[in-house]
Amino acid sequence: MIGVLMRVLPPGSFGWLTLHELRLAMASRSKKRFGQIVGWVMLLAWIAGGIFIATLLQDVPITPTPMLLTGVAAVSIALFSFMTTQGMLGSQRTLYEAGDLDLLFSAPIPPRSIMRAKLVGIAAMVMLSFTILLLPLALPVAILGHPQLFGIPALLLALALTAACFGLALTLLLARIAGPRAARTVGQIVAALSGGAIFLLSQLWNTGDRNTRGGVALLFQEMMDSGFGAHGIGSLPGKAAFGDPWAVTALLAGSILLFLFTTAAMQSWFLSGYRAGGMKLGRTKRARGTIDRNFSATLFGAIYAKEWRLMARDPALAFQIVLRIVYLAPILFLALRPGKSLPLAPSLAFTSVLIAGQVVSSLVWLAVSAEDTPDLLKVAPVAKHELDRAKLSAAMAMAAPLALLMPIGIGFATIPGAIATLAITVAAGWMTGLIEVTFAKPAPRSTFRSRRGGGSFIRGIIQFAITIVMGGIAALLIFFLDPASRTGLPDSWRVDSNPYASIQRH
Amino acid sequence: MTAPALRLTQLHKSFDKPVIAGLDLTVAAGQLYALLGPNGAGKTTTLRMAVGLTEPDSGGIEIYGIDAIRKPLAAKAITAWLPDEPMLYDKLTPSEYLGFVAGLWKIPRSVAAPEAERLLRWLELWDVRGTRCEGFSRGMKQKVALAGAMIHDPRLLILDEPLTGLDAAMARSVKDALRAAVDQGKTVIVTTHILEVAERLADRIGIIAGGKLLAEGTLDELRGGAGDATLEDTFIRLTSQP
Repeated sequence: MIGVLMRVLPPGSFGWLTLHELRLAMASRSKKRFGQIVGWVMLLAWIAGGIFIATLLQDVPITPTPMLLTGVAAVSIALFSFMTTQGMLGSQRTLYEAGDLDLLFSAPIPPRSIMRAKLVGIAAMVMLSFTILLLPLALPVAILGHPQLFGIPALLLALALTAACFGLALTLLLARIAGPRAARTVGQIVAALSGGAIFLLSQLWNTGDRNTRGGVALLFQEMMDSGFGAHGIGSLPGKAAFGDPWAVTALLAGSILLFLFTTAAMQSWFLSGYRAGGMKLGRTKRARGTIDRNFSATLFGAIYAKEWRLMARDPALAFQIVLRIVYLAPILFLALRPGKSLPLAPSLAFTSVLIAGQVVSSLVWLAVSAEDTPDLLKVAPVAKHELDRAKLSAAMAMAAPLALLMPIGIGFATIPGAIATLAITVAAGWMTGLIEVTFAKPAPRSTFRSRRGGGSFIRGIIQFAITIVMGGIAALLIFFLDPASRTGLPDSWRVDSNPYASIQRH
Repeated sequence: MTAPALRLTQLHKSFDKPVIAGLDLTVAAGQLYALLGPNGAGKTTTLRMAVGLTEPDSGGIEIYGIDAIRKPLAAKAITAWLPDEPMLYDKLTPSEYLGFVAGLWKIPRSVAAPEAERLLRWLELWDVRGTRCEGFSRGMKQKVALAGAMIHDPRLLILDEPLTGLDAAMARSVKDALRAAVDQGKTVIVTTHILEVAERLADRIGIIAGGKLLAEGTLDELRGGAGDATLEDTFIRLTSQP
């Protein structure tokens, strides 16, 4: 379809370039057949869910009540913030990674057209993921009796375009203030943190107690009472989502104006950002003194130092590891839930094994698979098993502080339990690491940013299953061996998680 | 009698089709040997087999008398490999990279650190020893990789297109480094597309095509046999034959 349209439009025109960017945005999806099949199955299931909800709501009147308007405004703010981080990521990819700006700027095309097309491409990428998430639910409802909800795609488009402009502007601002390296690092970290924040917030809601939910509900009530999102300019997202033509026009016109303003006002920054991207990224440090400290006495020391340095100097990768812990945090929420907590020590033992196992497997993946120079290791006079063992040991040493944390906590309840947890945590880490060492294949380190780019889905599932089983063994061992450990979180440890509760009571 | 630095006997390797077909090649110790051949001749495959990166289908590989197939670690301990794309970690500094390579070759710190300093100074990298390699030019990266290849004082250096992408000054500096290594008694084997480099630098030259050695000798021997005026004439005459 895009190819056909590109043949119709004059080559090199803004429209033609924009279609090229859209084609690139579409092509960035998973190319793996298995991934595509899973993606399509999930999308179809999602659409089926949307159709089911639409049939339920077919005869239910949906009108823009103040509550719904406030809800849409609140959701729009959340969506906009996540879209902006996506926009930052897209901007830094465009400026520093895509590598096609040299070609585009060397062509006889006005730079502004290139920048506009690139910005549309970023907006398309931003919109794509949220479209897949929201439209399969919204469109069936709109088609089956609620045509006013066709305003939702327009709202999404306006949000995506605005977020792309903000994302680009922030990236360029960062690059201007702190240089291209900082722009890349901050963008990657913010994106990772926002992903983790979405998950944590959803899990806090799912696993939180009545107080937590009550706090969120009270916050929402306060927003409603203050008329947030129901009146004035703040009501535009809500009204647009419910098909108000003026609101739709105002939002789309506003975002297009912002788009035009951004491309006009930031063109020189975009060009300087692009030029800076092509320049040296190396941080020139004044070299002083001897170099003895860089030399290790053992193979393990050399591997450990190398892996530690590579991770410390790639914050985006480090945050990927942190995210793995974040995604496992809900298990801790279950254990620490006031009022109805699970037995504390067994829960902590389970969590310890699970988190440490997953982190070790990630670190080993980095050490073994994300190896930029596998040939260097192959030509070295070191046996593969010796190298693998050194890498596995280095990864476990890096994960050790984390693996020790929870057994120390368990130690307050049961010393034998803490020792057992530590032993099983080490065993689980070793087993998951061993799987990685045995089956992983080298891939460029940068692919880890796309979440185990060179890894295997099956391998990940097996490792997860191992940590679950080992965690279960640790939990059961403590539960049956030490009856004293079966209690939940002590009352004195409980924290009233609802800061609004006292206000509510008064 | 000293064992040859590299002896390949009846080496065979096929991927989809035969790439190396019964290659016999001997490189005497203390020489700079240039391996020439058209694209797809099997030069890189030959060298990758010599350093243990690619397993031959059959045949023998000896490095200074050590059977590199049966005792790969012993052979690797005295060999260095420098591919056309430098094997570097962009996030490490030159001194950290050398520290890592020294660790892989298990060189004691007391030996490795002064040797690294000597190499960094010699290759004019001392002032950037604390700067990450990610910002380096291709030539600088190639020099860091060369320092890494030499940190364990190898007896045999094997380099695949070491001058690709280097500017004249940097190419000169790498050529000088290779010549100096030979002068120190090491053996250097290079592949190159630049015949002038082979003409001016190599003690002996081998021309390979279709996975076989077509000719081998000194520059004069190669040119003289058929009365060619230049090495280029010899190369084209040999490699264009059906």
